[in-house]
Amino acid sequence: MDLKRLSDVVWEVPQAGGMRVPGRIFADDALMEVVMQDRSVEQVANVAHLPGIVAASFAMPDIHWGYGFPIGGVAATRVSDGVVSPGGVGFDICCGVRLLASAFTEADFEARRAAVMGELDRRIPRGAGKGAIAPGTIVREVLADGAVAAVRHGYGHPEDLERCEERGRSEGADPDVISEKALVRGREQLGSLGAGNHFLEVQVVDRVEDPAAAGAFGLAPGMVVVMIHCGSRGLGHQTCTDHLRLMGEAMRRHGISVPDRQLACVPIRSREGEEYLAAMAASAKFAWANRHILAHEARQAFATAFGVSEARTGMRLVFDVAHNLAKIERHEVDGSPTEVCVHRKGATRAFGPGHPDLPEDLRQWGQPVLVPGSMGTASWVLRGTDRNPAFASAAHGAGRLMSRKQASRRSPGREVRAGLESRGISVRPLSVSLLSEEAPYAYKDVDVVAEVCERAGLATRVARLRPLGVVKG
Amino acid sequence: MPFQVLSHTADTGIEATSDTLPGLLAALATGMFEFMEPVPPGTPGEPVTVEVESASLEDLVVDLLSELLFVSESEDAMLTRFEVELPSPTNARVTATAVPIDRSGMVGAPIKAVTYHDLTIEERDGGWYGRVYFDV
Repeated sequence: MDLKRLSDVVWEVPQAGGMRVPGRIFADDALMEVVMQDRSVEQVANVAHLPGIVAASFAMPDIHWGYGFPIGGVAATRVSDGVVSPGGVGFDICCGVRLLASAFTEADFEARRAAVMGELDRRIPRGAGKGAIAPGTIVREVLADGAVAAVRHGYGHPEDLERCEERGRSEGADPDVISEKALVRGREQLGSLGAGNHFLEVQVVDRVEDPAAAGAFGLAPGMVVVMIHCGSRGLGHQTCTDHLRLMGEAMRRHGISVPDRQLACVPIRSREGEEYLAAMAASAKFAWANRHILAHEARQAFATAFGVSEARTGMRLVFDVAHNLAKIERHEVDGSPTEVCVHRKGATRAFGPGHPDLPEDLRQWGQPVLVPGSMGTASWVLRGTDRNPAFASAAHGAGRLMSRKQASRRSPGREVRAGLESRGISVRPLSVSLLSEEAPYAYKDVDVVAEVCERAGLATRVARLRPLGVVKG
Repeated sequence: MPFQVLSHTADTGIEATSDTLPGLLAALATGMFEFMEPVPPGTPGEPVTVEVESASLEDLVVDLLSELLFVSESEDAMLTRFEVELPSPTNARVTATAVPIDRSGMVGAPIKAVTYHDLTIEERDGGWYGRVYFDV
């Protein structure tokens, strides 16, 4: 596919065939070279076929081949006559990242490294299948009230909610549209990491690029922080599966065709569209609560390891933001404020300074954008800008460079673990052999991804975080 | 081996061939679970039965594999030794053996869901060919 270069970090996929808008990819030369090696550009073009899509089918700098949408794909569809596509959210509904500050320094952590990692290893459920911190009896309540229900049951604090996207409760959720199968899966997994690229990481603020914003976010150089990456677990996976099944038939009835069945979609203002959005929002509440409960457990782990009260850990929530979600937002389209459904599949919402949906104390700085890297490199805290060209969206991670198969062929899990430990990164995996699939070399350079975000006007750099210890599924 | 693991940047896929359609479905189900954790032959377990009715053959494949994933997660088990009956091309009855999961022994990332991306089920060279991608 021939791409047109619009600037040093913006590439256009020209409109052709059934594409309703062009594609637009944010990448520098090196990232683009990798993008061209898989089928992600084809997927950017496929997304441009969605009815009601406006402006462009966007791809963030961490773009790679997904299923239906590329990972890193962003598409806004007009609410009035556009569609919603579960494939634009993905199976792990409201997968996202949460960052906790702390009162500890790197030296404090070094003095208690074994105790902290031991407590986290013991307390954090992870891996496939069952395993949860919270009882299944509160799942219905969680589907109705999200992280608010978690706080009600003693997990976390009310002030945490102010630092969650949508205050930890998505609008429009209807727990009654969640299937019994999804409930069966969710009851056994509330308060668990899962597997794959999900993790809980102890990190240190390695470098601050924007001291004023970092201060406002509650971050300082040398501070130990905790990052949690996970989503809605089996409940979300089942919800997406349930609705994709229904949409195949509904799409035929609505006379919609798409180039990839995984892009199945229906009008936003149809019965099927509204039911999906209600189920997605309820699943998102499960995910917000899931991260809230895991954060509570991380606080308990630090308190126990340091022999202090939870309050003395200083583990305040910096921010919690999703990167797999479709949200109804108002954006300017062709010069007019327009209600659109913004699908972010592996892309982070990145509201700029002054946005009314941001907490009051962060509003002047823009939204914290959390970009986790690989377990051996770094992660970034960025902030939203007021000139974002992609419906207030930014990257969600480093982006994979290698397939799981390639990565695991390169070196066995025990070597990956030894390599990380030799660099001062403690690793507590459930399965040592799976570590190779998530090895640092399997990912792109997150520093480059963060830099390209800034050059493309998607978000600006605030602080770089370096890993000290990793808990993996 | 009745299946092959396909390379994919973020997720994974498998392709399989068989002389018969029931054989293809059994091979795809075997591939999906062996990708995560191969179960040694003869490992004792509990029998499980799954029945699925769908709108088309492609839907049947996705629905069946999705149902098997649901059973695996809700029973906390890996499934193996699949026997497939097809009363019609859109109706499958599958029996399998559920073996307790060993999370520390997993060799492939747990599969979250079955996708329709690039899904192919077709007659080829006098037999059947199937390709399915999964979200991991």
